[in-house]
Parts: sequence; structure tokens; C-alpha cells
Amino acid sequence: MNLTHCLLLASFLFCVGVYGLLTRRQAVAVLLALELMMNAANLAFVAFAHFRGGPGQLFVVFALAITVAEVAIGLALVMLLYRRHDDTALDRASETQG
Amino acid sequence: MSSLQSWAALAVLVPLAAALLCVVLPPLRRAGKPAAALCILASLVATAASIYLLTQHEAGAVTRTEVPWIVLGGKALASIGVNVDGVSVVMLLVVCVVALCVQVFSLAYMHDETPSSYGRYFTLHALFLFSMNTLVVAPNLLQLFAGWELVGLTSYLLIGFWFHKPSAARASVKAFWMTKLADMGFVFALLALFVATRGFDWNARLSTETATLVTALLFLAVVGKSAQFPLHVWLPDAMEGPTPVSALLHAATMVAAGVFLIVRADPLFAQAPATCEVMLWVGSITALFAACLALVQSDIKKVLAYSTCSQLGYMVAALGAGSAFAGFFHLGTHAFFKALLFLGAGSVIHAVHSNELADMGGLRRKMPVTTLTFGIGALSLAGVPGLAGFFSKDFVLAQLEGKAGWIPWTMLMATSFLTAFYMGRVLIKAFGGAESAKAHHAHESGGAMLLPLVVLAVPALAAGFLGGVLAEWSGAEYHVHLGLTPVVASCLAIAGLLGAVMVFGRGRAAPFAGVLESLDRASAVDRTWSGLYRHVLLGVSAVAGFVDRYFVDGLINAVGYTTIESGARVRRLQTGRIHDYAMAVVVGALLIALWGVLR
Repeated sequence: MNLTHCLLLASFLFCVGVYGLLTRRQAVAVLLALELMMNAANLAFVAFAHFRGGPGQLFVVFALAITVAEVAIGLALVMLLYRRHDDTALDRASETQG
Repeated sequence: MSSLQSWAALAVLVPLAAALLCVVLPPLRRAGKPAAALCILASLVATAASIYLLTQHEAGAVTRTEVPWIVLGGKALASIGVNVDGVSVVMLLVVCVVALCVQVFSLAYMHDETPSSYGRYFTLHALFLFSMNTLVVAPNLLQLFAGWELVGLTSYLLIGFWFHKPSAARASVKAFWMTKLADMGFVFALLALFVATRGFDWNARLSTETATLVTALLFLAVVGKSAQFPLHVWLPDAMEGPTPVSALLHAATMVAAGVFLIVRADPLFAQAPATCEVMLWVGSITALFAACLALVQSDIKKVLAYSTCSQLGYMVAALGAGSAFAGFFHLGTHAFFKALLFLGAGSVIHAVHSNELADMGGLRRKMPVTTLTFGIGALSLAGVPGLAGFFSKDFVLAQLEGKAGWIPWTMLMATSFLTAFYMGRVLIKAFGGAESAKAHHAHESGGAMLLPLVVLAVPALAAGFLGGVLAEWSGAEYHVHLGLTPVVASCLAIAGLLGAVMVFGRGRAAPFAGVLESLDRASAVDRTWSGLYRHVLLGVSAVAGFVDRYFVDGLINAVGYTTIESGARVRRLQTGRIHDYAMAVVVGALLIALWGVLR
């Protein structure tokens, strides 16, 4: 197992995340997709740190902290969305259209 | 400021104060009579000041007081102030006396007006007196121009005084257009003078070319203001205004402002012989042409209007012959006898309620004082020996002896005959003969109208004897001598009057009717101008309007329309759906990545 394998896995995870982001209607599923993309990036960081050295693992710790904040906000938004529409489907929440 | 200038300034500022009071206090103006009293009081003060000024003035003295005007960078471009010399003192007196007489006359003449328009009338008169006096005492051409435009404005307002009458409204606009057209000359003359000398002084020394340019442009303004051929057409139409207004503005003072300008700017004109040559011809042609038209008018005011054009032509011709004093002398006497004639006509019109000569006739028994004073004015205008008009006209003609191959002299001699002839016609038709239906109920006017007539009849009789004094004051030469000119002129004047008696005396006008009718076609000048106005000016306006509406406005509208339309389209991009935004981000990121790979 070398760096290339790890990066391929990270890319695959990222693409799955993007696909989920673009295709899922439910807000929770979209949040999960975002998490997947985030972790793909983390995996790339760890892989580079492992094979090439550098402070990559440190960044991952930071990124995990940010992800926690992001998830907290994201879930709060999902709650509000549910209160407003009795539903968490994102395509119904288009009040800001021009 | 010496006491002399203070008195002159008083004559300017008191009418202004009266006008301003009437303007800022609408209740005073709308009350009518109090406003009239205030304005006449102001004219009285101005007249008293001008008389005092005349008694104190020393012959040949020129004194002036100026305060800087238009200060730019610590340096005054022009000044505003009071110039007291022989010309301005005499002109001030003429203007104030005639204005006072006309205003007193108007008290009775405008009696039927509503109080508010009565007040408006006298407010405008006070404004006019201020404007005219500003022009008269101006120490430089710029202030003179300011006064010139102000009298033009009051003329416009007073011609259109009965603005609900379409003909009066049209006449006022016509007068405004014609004079403003000519006033462009004044503006350009001022510019040329300023470029050449950095000032507006009429005593400037210029090169011949510059002097010719400046004076030619000034003369253009004079042609408009003093109703000279071919810009004379506004003056007969201006008779739509109230008759006392015609007497003051369109006979005695305002139209004479053009002549006054040339008298003032005489040092400039003396440097431009080419312009003087043109003036000589324009003046002579106007005099003869307008006298011919005066023969055929059926409206008493129109006769007098054309006669004014004609007499102004005499003045301009005299100035063209190089004698400022002759022009100025004729201006002074003309102001008195023409104002008298107009007020007399006003008295008649007031009595018979018509302007038409045909509605008058036989008024000599009904209106003896009017008949007598009008007669004095008419004989003075005709140039009967001994009366004021004779002396000044004779002096003008004497200046023309031998000029340009005697042709202008001959033309003006012929005009003398015609003048006597048409004044004789008016006298006979209005006051002689049998009474017409309307004249039957006529009665003599009241004291307020007769007093100014009598007052003005005195200078119309005797002002001619003051020529010597006037010349001394203005520092000019004046001699009465019994030569060819006075004899021929007197004979022609008497022949003209006798001719009128022969032709019109016993209802024998018929043989001449055809000749007179054909003369009427000479008003082609008027038609030419109205055609020019309609086709050229309105045409240019239409094109300018089209360009403005569809090109200038179109451009601006196109910008606005495009912004709104594109906004309406672009705003659809803001769908509000989070997936679209995410898609945009992903596509954008892919494009950036693609650009990074392919670079």
C-alpha cells in the first residue's frame, strides 16, 4: 500500500461526497455527504503526512474541530428547516430565489 | 460719490424700490390704486431728481462713480455705477418726464382694469423706469446691456399685458424673438470688445477692423431695438399693448435706446466708417419705407408706429452721417411729440372705443383739447417751421447734405413730405369732416388724461429752441442757418399738409385708394419674417426636438431599459435552491482544476 492507493481512496470518497451533495434531497443526507468530502480531505492529509512527513496530522486535528462546529450549525439549520416546512427536503426551501 | 451722482442714483433706485415693494407685497399690488400711487410717487421723485440734476449740471462736465462688479481673483472685470454727463442728464430728464406723463395718463386710461391688473400695470411701469434709467446712466457698455435687456423684458411684459388676447400674446412673443435675435449682436460685440481691450469702455481705441466688427454687431442690436429695416416688423404688432405703453416704450424711450446706444458708443462708431456708411443707408431706407407704409394704415396706432420707425430712421441716418448730436437732438424732440401723439390717440381711442380711423371723424368739436394738443404734435412731427420737430429734423437733414451723392438726403426729404402727408391724413380723418356714428357719443377725456397732453404739448412746441443749450452741454456744434435744407424741408412739410387736405379733405380719397392699396403689399417684409420664423426657426426647433427626443433621450432610455431587462433575466439565476448553488460551486471548481491541468 503506497501513497497512490491512499489518494485514490480519498478521491473516491470525495466523489461519492460530491455525488451525494448534488443528488440527495434530504438535508441530513447532504450533511453526511459533506462529512464524507471532509474526511476524504483528512485522509489525503494523513496519507501525505505518513509517506512524505510534515505537519499534515496536525491539520487533521484542526479540521476535525472545525467539522464539529460545522455539524452543530448544520444540524441546527436542519432543525429550523423542519420547524418551518415540517420536512427537511432542501428543494422546497427556495425562499431566497430572485 | 458727489451729490450729482447721488441724485442720478436716486432716479434709478427709487423706481426700483417702488417696483420691488409692489412685487414682494402682493396685497399692495392687488389693491391697484395704492400701488399706482406709489409708482407715480416714485416717478415724481425720479423726475424731480433729474430736473435738479439738469439745473446743477455744468456744460461739458463728465463725472462718474463706479463700484467693482464681477470681481475675479481680486480684479474687477467690469463696474457698475452712475455716469453723469450732458447726454445722460438730458436723456434722464426726457425719460422721467415722459414716463411721469404717461403714468398719470394711465391712471384714467386703465381705469376699467381690475385692481390686480391695475397694480400689475403700474408695477411694470416702475420696473421699466428703473431699467431705462439704468441704461441711461450706465458708465460702461456692460451695464448698458443689462438695462437694455431689462427694458426688452418690460416691453415683452407690457405688450402682452392683455395676454388673454391671442393677438397680444403673439405680438409680445414676436417682439421678444425679433429683439433677442438682434441682441445676439450686442452680446458678441461685448465679447469682441472685451477680448480686444479687457474692458467694456466705449472710449476704447481699437484697430479699424475690430472697431468695424464691434460697431457692426452693436448696430445689429440697434436695428432690432430701434425697429430699423428689415427687423422693424415687431413694432407695428407691439401696438397690441395698452396705448400709454406704446407712447412710452414703443415711441418715446425704449425704441430710442438703440439710438441712445450709438450716441453713447459714438467714439467707437467714429473709428468705423464702414459701419457708419451702412447706418446711413439703413436709416434712410427705413425712414422712407416706413413712411410709405404709414400712409396706408387704417389703424391710428399703426400709423404712429410706422411713423416712429420712420423717425428712428432719421436718427440712425444722422448718426451714420457722423453727427451723434443731430441724432440725439431728434431723439429728444421726437420723444416729446411722439409721446404726445400716442397719448392723444389714446384719448381718442378711449372716447370712441376703436382704433380705426374710419370710426373717428369730426372729433374736433367733441374733444377740443385733445384736438389742439394732437394737432400740435402732428404739426411738430410734420416739421412745420417753428415747432420742435422742424429744428431737429432740419438739423438731421443738414448733416446729410452732400453725403453719398445726395441720395440719402433726397430720400429723407421725400420722407418729410410723406410725413406731413400722412399726419395730415390722420388729422383730417380723425378730427375733421363729419361725425361718424361712434364719434357721436364721444366726449372729452378727464383731467388726468388732458393734463399730460398739455404738459407734453409745451416741449413739442418749444423744445426746438433748446438745441443750442443742448449742444453746449454735449460739447457739440449747433448752428441754425437759413440755407437750402430748411427752406426745402419747410416747403415740403407744408406741401404735404396741403396735399393731404386736397386728397382727403372733401372725401376725394378715391383716386388714390388703388395706389395706397398696392403700397400695402409692401408688408411682404412681415410675411418674409413670419415665413422664416415658421419654416426656419420652427424647422430647426423640430429637428432639434427630434434629435433630443429620439437620439439623446433614446440613448439614455436604452441604457435604462437594458439594465432593467438584463436584471430581469439575470435574477432567474438566483433560484434559491441550494443544489443549484452547490452545482455551480462544483462546476466552478472543476473548471478551475481543468484550467490548472491544461495550463
